[in-house]
Amino acid sequence: MSAHLIATNVTRRYGPTAVVEGVSLDLEPGDITALLGGSGAGKSTLLRLFAGLEPLDEGEIRLGDQLLSRPGKTVPAEKRRIGLIFQDFALFPHLTAAQNVAFGLKSRGKEAARTIAAEWLERLGLTGRADAFPHELSGGEQQRVAIARALAPEPAAILMDEPFSGLDPALRGSVRDTALAAIREAGIPALLVTHDPTEALESADCIAILQGGCLLQQGKAADVYMKPESAAIAAALGPVSRIRAADLPEGLAGQAVPAGAELIVRPEGVVQDEGSPVRAKVTASQLTGPLCRLLLDCQGQALTALVPRITAPKTGAEIGIRLDPALTFIFQSADS
Amino acid sequence: MSAYTAIRSFRFRSIDGPALLAGLIIAVPVVVTLLAGVLNGGGEAWSHIRDTLLTGYTTGTLGTLALTALMTLAVAVPAAWLVTMYQFPGRGLFEWLLILPLAAPGYVLAYAYADLMGLMGPFQVAIRETTGWTARDYWFPDMRSLPGLAFVLTCALYPYVYLTARAAFVSQSVCALEAARSLGASSARRFWQVALPAARPAIAAGLALTLMEAAADYGAAEYLGVPTLTFGIVRAWQSFGEPAAAARLALVLVVIVIALILTERHTRGRAGSQQSSTRWRNVSRTRLPRWAGLGAMAACALLFLATFVLPMSRLIWLVMESQGQIAPIGRALVNTLILAGSGAALAFVLAMVIALTARQSGLIAGFARLMASTGYAIPGAVLALGALLVMGYLGITLTGAGAIIALAWVYASRFTTSGAEPMVAALGRAPASMGYAAESLGASPLRRAVSVDLPVALSGAMAGALILFVESLKELPATLMLRPFNWDTLSVRANAYATDERLAAAALPSLLITLAGLLPVILLSWRLSHSRPGDTQ
Repeated sequence: MSAHLIATNVTRRYGPTAVVEGVSLDLEPGDITALLGGSGAGKSTLLRLFAGLEPLDEGEIRLGDQLLSRPGKTVPAEKRRIGLIFQDFALFPHLTAAQNVAFGLKSRGKEAARTIAAEWLERLGLTGRADAFPHELSGGEQQRVAIARALAPEPAAILMDEPFSGLDPALRGSVRDTALAAIREAGIPALLVTHDPTEALESADCIAILQGGCLLQQGKAADVYMKPESAAIAAALGPVSRIRAADLPEGLAGQAVPAGAELIVRPEGVVQDEGSPVRAKVTASQLTGPLCRLLLDCQGQALTALVPRITAPKTGAEIGIRLDPALTFIFQSADS
Repeated sequence: MSAYTAIRSFRFRSIDGPALLAGLIIAVPVVVTLLAGVLNGGGEAWSHIRDTLLTGYTTGTLGTLALTALMTLAVAVPAAWLVTMYQFPGRGLFEWLLILPLAAPGYVLAYAYADLMGLMGPFQVAIRETTGWTARDYWFPDMRSLPGLAFVLTCALYPYVYLTARAAFVSQSVCALEAARSLGASSARRFWQVALPAARPAIAAGLALTLMEAAADYGAAEYLGVPTLTFGIVRAWQSFGEPAAAARLALVLVVIVIALILTERHTRGRAGSQQSSTRWRNVSRTRLPRWAGLGAMAACALLFLATFVLPMSRLIWLVMESQGQIAPIGRALVNTLILAGSGAALAFVLAMVIALTARQSGLIAGFARLMASTGYAIPGAVLALGALLVMGYLGITLTGAGAIIALAWVYASRFTTSGAEPMVAALGRAPASMGYAAESLGASPLRRAVSVDLPVALSGAMAGALILFVESLKELPATLMLRPFNWDTLSVRANAYATDERLAAAALPSLLITLAGLLPVILLSWRLSHSRPGDTQ
């Protein structure tokens, strides 16, 4: 059984500003944890702290019993056995795919390294590409080589910095599925840094949300999505409509909303229901694929709904709506 | 577009006229020399040179190139790695100080070092005074030898490799180095197996430049008494008065230079060096611990002292010591300004044509650019020989205007490409769509070049003109062969005094040449410190 990778109260400052502040994060073996946040949230810095590429100012990082980082002491990256995967692949341009994968297998001897590299390339569907140089590979192939290279030395954990956002969208899904399957199989702690909530929800077991260097919430993906602890977290996981209690159309909430609170609802939580007394006007109906996004005007309050395309009303129609309580969250408004 | 379709779809455009003319002007000297080398018999002098001197010249050149290459790599690559990857006291200063030796031509360093290390130089005198030995009792490195020549050329030329290696290290993918760390690679392994192979093409390009300059050197080899092919060419012309024999030697030298270029091409090979990175983060320099940091500082300081401060101080000391008794150089200064000035003027016009036509790619523009970079690779002595041959065919004597024009022509043939470079860079910073916009508004290629591209290129014109002037002023062998009768320049005077063992007299023109050489080098280092990787340059 692999060890947990644990950060406790980790802080990292650049000059006077804390880029990561008091973050505690427990990465479980076999789980993929998505670290979600906007640009400048401190995601990459936290990853670099885990990797040992930067020293930390407060707190500590452990791998099981082994202390990796504390203030004044950093086990260097090359001694940590923690794999890294980058957005830009970072393959060694002068080495073939097989040589890239074998790079971290130096201690195994030449013959064994070659065999292991070949096995990994095969697992990631790159059998025929072993002797190709990186510039001769497609983006998806390059990223799969990078993943094989990181996993081949059997690292104790793996860290991925926006690994799929350099790929074109058509390719992204299949590369991600192959890659994450291999990583899950390794049964080690895995951190996936991303700014894309959809990617986090689709591919991760756990989600940790980082904002302004602070960890807002960590938990199972479904829990974080269905039970966000704040308006900011709810908004970080996808589009929402935010309505202040004072502006709430009458009868819409279906539950008591304290004065000064804020009601937050996901688009799929706005349900079209002709039996409902609450009416809304469709100001725009946008096709997004299998679903249709409705921009609604409900007593002067703007709302967004997602409904199946088949049953979607046309622009200008008036429909009855209600809110799904499971997808509606009420928080004390921050500015009240 | 393949060459075939390029030729098929070729259409002579208004802009091709000037480009064709520029390419031909640049190409004539080298083509004439090579044709003469192949077609002419070589004369009686040639059979003498072939039987008694050719082997020595060739091994001299090859040996000097090999040793210079080794020493340059050993010095320049670690220096570049140190200032790029590590933080230590004085790092920022050394980063550009280490470029300064480029200002002094090899022959100037040869004079200074031969004097410093000679029997009466300060080191040997100090040894004898402290030990009481006589000159026969100890061994001391002899500058007047092939290793001495290679040492001097390394001092003068290593910055070419330092610059290209540094640029490659700065722009390398930081992620690749970090990935290597995460795979357990030690810092030594990261250097040898990740950074160095990725920088190899850049280092090879810098080394090719270094060796072309080393092959072209005449002054240092002559002064230190090392027979090389360039030395042989000038000698065959001056002593034997035999251009046909000199052309044969030039043929051998050009073959060596072409072999260098082909080797450099070959190192690029199939393996890529292009980083896949699109994200550039500044290299985060590792702070060296106290003693290692002082060691790094000492190494950089030693390199800078040995290649620049020490020889220049010796020359300054020589000038100070012989106060008032220095041979006047006013006349040589005026001659230099006229000759280098006319060379730079012609080269500047050609460089401008090449920079402007390069913007609108085409067959003729490509030809002109190719000729310009070929000219840069050919030693000045070879080009001068071509000009001499042409003048001989036309019956023009080596006096007055004819000689000035011939020399300006050779300067232009050799240096145009280095003057075009800053202008091409200036144009490269402007978006390509600017030209398309002009064309969509109905401007002909010629009008586009003159009214749209020219004003943009002018921002690089000052640098280009300066480089051309200084390169011409430093040039020795072609100037020696082609200058009008009695028209000594600074470089010719320095060479003459040094050969007469009047080093104090040679020191002043040598220092003036170096001082002029500092201008473009400082300009270069300024541009270097004000551009970041990821900038469009």
